[in-house]
Amino acid sequence: MLPATLDDVKVLDLSQGLAGPICAKILADFGADVIKVEPVGGDSGRKMAPHFGNDPHPEKSLVFLLANLNKRGVKLNLDDPDGQALLRQMACTTDIIVESFKPGYLASVGLDYATLAKENPRLIMISITPFGQTGPYSLYENEEIVTYALSGIMSISGLAAQEPLKHGGMQSQYEGGLSGSVGALAALHARDMLGEGQHVDVSLHDVVASTLVIHQPMYGWTGAVQGRRRPSGSSYGQVQRCKDGYFIWQTGGGAEWSDITEFFGMEALKEERFATVAGRALHGEDMDRIVLEATKDRTMQELFLTASEKYHMLFGIVQEPKDLAQCPHLEAREFFQEVDHPVMGKIKVPFRLWSMPECPAVYRMPAPLLGQHNTEVFGGLLGLDASRLAALSARGVI
Amino acid sequence: MIRMGKKPLEGIRVIDSSYVFAGPYATGLLGDLGAEVIKVEGPLRPDFTRGGAFSGMLPENEMGADPWNRMSSYNLVNRGKKSVVLDLTRKEGRDVLVDLIKVSDIIVENFTPRVMRGWGLDYPNMKKINPGIIMVSNTGYGRGGPYSAYPAQATTQEATHGHAAVTGYAGGEPSKAGQSYVDFLAAWTIATAAMLGLRYRRRFGHGLWADIGMYQLGCYNVSEYVLDSIANNIPGERIGNRHRQFAPQGVYRCAGTDAWCALSVRDDHDWTALCKVIGHAEFAIDQRFSTETARRANHDVIDAMITRWTSTLPKIEAMERLQAAGVAAGAVLDGRDLNFDPQIKARGLVEMVEYPKERGMGARRPLIGRPWKFSAMPLSINGPAPAYGQHNGEVLREILGYDETRCCALAEAGIVVDKPVKPREVPNMTMDKRVEIGRLAYWDPDYKTKLGIV
Repeated sequence: MLPATLDDVKVLDLSQGLAGPICAKILADFGADVIKVEPVGGDSGRKMAPHFGNDPHPEKSLVFLLANLNKRGVKLNLDDPDGQALLRQMACTTDIIVESFKPGYLASVGLDYATLAKENPRLIMISITPFGQTGPYSLYENEEIVTYALSGIMSISGLAAQEPLKHGGMQSQYEGGLSGSVGALAALHARDMLGEGQHVDVSLHDVVASTLVIHQPMYGWTGAVQGRRRPSGSSYGQVQRCKDGYFIWQTGGGAEWSDITEFFGMEALKEERFATVAGRALHGEDMDRIVLEATKDRTMQELFLTASEKYHMLFGIVQEPKDLAQCPHLEAREFFQEVDHPVMGKIKVPFRLWSMPECPAVYRMPAPLLGQHNTEVFGGLLGLDASRLAALSARGVI
Repeated sequence: MIRMGKKPLEGIRVIDSSYVFAGPYATGLLGDLGAEVIKVEGPLRPDFTRGGAFSGMLPENEMGADPWNRMSSYNLVNRGKKSVVLDLTRKEGRDVLVDLIKVSDIIVENFTPRVMRGWGLDYPNMKKINPGIIMVSNTGYGRGGPYSAYPAQATTQEATHGHAAVTGYAGGEPSKAGQSYVDFLAAWTIATAAMLGLRYRRRFGHGLWADIGMYQLGCYNVSEYVLDSIANNIPGERIGNRHRQFAPQGVYRCAGTDAWCALSVRDDHDWTALCKVIGHAEFAIDQRFSTETARRANHDVIDAMITRWTSTLPKIEAMERLQAAGVAAGAVLDGRDLNFDPQIKARGLVEMVEYPKERGMGARRPLIGRPWKFSAMPLSINGPAPAYGQHNGEVLREILGYDETRCCALAEAGIVVDKPVKPREVPNMTMDKRVEIGRLAYWDPDYKTKLGIV
């Protein structure tokens, strides 16, 4: 077994939904011992669709499964003083807490960073919330579309004549998980160097806004504000139809314009007016017509392979989720992990974000059932005896 | 709170041998965290953000003598770095890079696998040069697998990695969203991998190689659709701004030009609150809308009702009134709003970066900082992005200890330069023309007064 970079790190994952859990999952993948601490009713992620077999059973949320691989799990009622005491006890031997409560909640139950750090100054806490711990929106109600709207990204997504458009899915959540892991590693590095823990405050609003590296500074450079795409002119840079789906192409990559005209196989594209960037912008509609004529009887897969392999073009095809589920490249990169889940059975789950041969992400266990490791953690780790466990359980604390 | 008063990556040297957004942004963020970042470009290969489609704008839209140093996107992602320009296509240039690798901790690169192998700078060779080096390679598809050698860029990848299929207006074509989206997933992943590498090296005594493929990251971020396909054979769909479950959800037109407010009703309680805010409390008990399923079925009717209310209000007021009633709502901010939004301001996400007079940038420009706040180490952007080749002398003489003869020889041979041999094209077009052809929605001639940077 290869050494794991974080196998000396203990994490409590108090977070719910997707962003915080993904951050904690990344730590777990590289060896951290992560205990997921769920409220007695379970992580809200257990209610998130899709569910296995479309059955909204708390042990069948595919989102929960995805984001909580490699973690053990306990139930703990943090509203109860005994629950708070147990968490305080656990925090004494913890390196990192990941949490996503509404700002102020942890302080209201005496579990905020300042309080916990008094007992354990080496503790790091990562809070990943929609708007962060501070500022006028910090207590705003939120849903994915709200973060997206306020981040600025929707104002440049979609068509000028229609409403601003959101990315599909829950991008701010995934982004928050990925970006949050930078914050976690930076705080861990600082602690390794300087000995102290700290509180890292991650705002999904800031995370999504910080992707606007073209859009944001234009204003401060010239007062310029970009909008959404106008329908007129070339579809270049937008998807176009072919025989069995959609493709998208661009100049650049390893392809000269002559390679591109050869790939499309249309004499008309060799005309002088298409030979320059400016000319193609000016004659975009004509160019689109020729390209569509050239591709109407060709399949996505053939176009993708020929353009990429033979002509070294920048070329994409619109792949559906089922295409990704069967993608030979993802298989070769060991993106999927077969998980044997006690309720859902064997299922292939997206797992590996990137490769790191010396110390790869390693799969150890499926996402925990609700309270699955209560006895192991509260009994084994904290040393509570059977009667105490039974009493806490009867009162709904664990 | 005790302040460490030190940045965590102080003493760490990073080579940024990457282009456009992912690698440069990741290393820019490592710089904010205290690392010394040396950006390496080629005489014939200035970064793509120094001109062309991804480079943004020039200050006051004025060409000046050195447009490649003054583009907005270049200046954002490369803040706080040092710049050295080396011709890596020649052995003398690669020798300099090899010397730099010997005294560095991290190298981030995005060359194709063939190029790095050809130069003897793939990881097996890299670790012979410096066993402690942490090498982070970021390419479109990663270094292994059947698509490994395919050229890639965010715009074409957004389709291939599954986002376009689930992004778009209902009943419409697959769409893109945002700009160079997957690059930012890669930027955070690069920074995470680099810091995992530092910790790995501290614990186990040698460096490592991280092999990042942007495609894989994009695919991961539509995992719920992939799992729905695997487990339930359910295809992806384009539903515009609606939610698969919650209703209503959407973006609603407000008073003003291109003004919109997003809202989402997550349960019956939210619905009752929304009905009151829009002045139709009676809808809360209307059978047509009383359950989530009923609201999904009558979504168009509800959208029209909400729009009647929002269209009379400025977007910020609509948001504030909805939020005051506990409804999840947010105004659609544009590029101007981002520079003035009270939340972004309160959190200090946008920082003013000071420029020396000789850079021809004006005194200060606002740039996005970092999406994390650290309680014990307040960070800030560590100075402006460098001019092309600005630190050639410092890197060669002070960091590598080359003597005057060698430095002169490198300059004379054109191995080390401080002006691009072939600058990237920068479109020379008036602001009004840019608006006319749709590249811009609008522009504010008095933006400097508004920003307080006159």
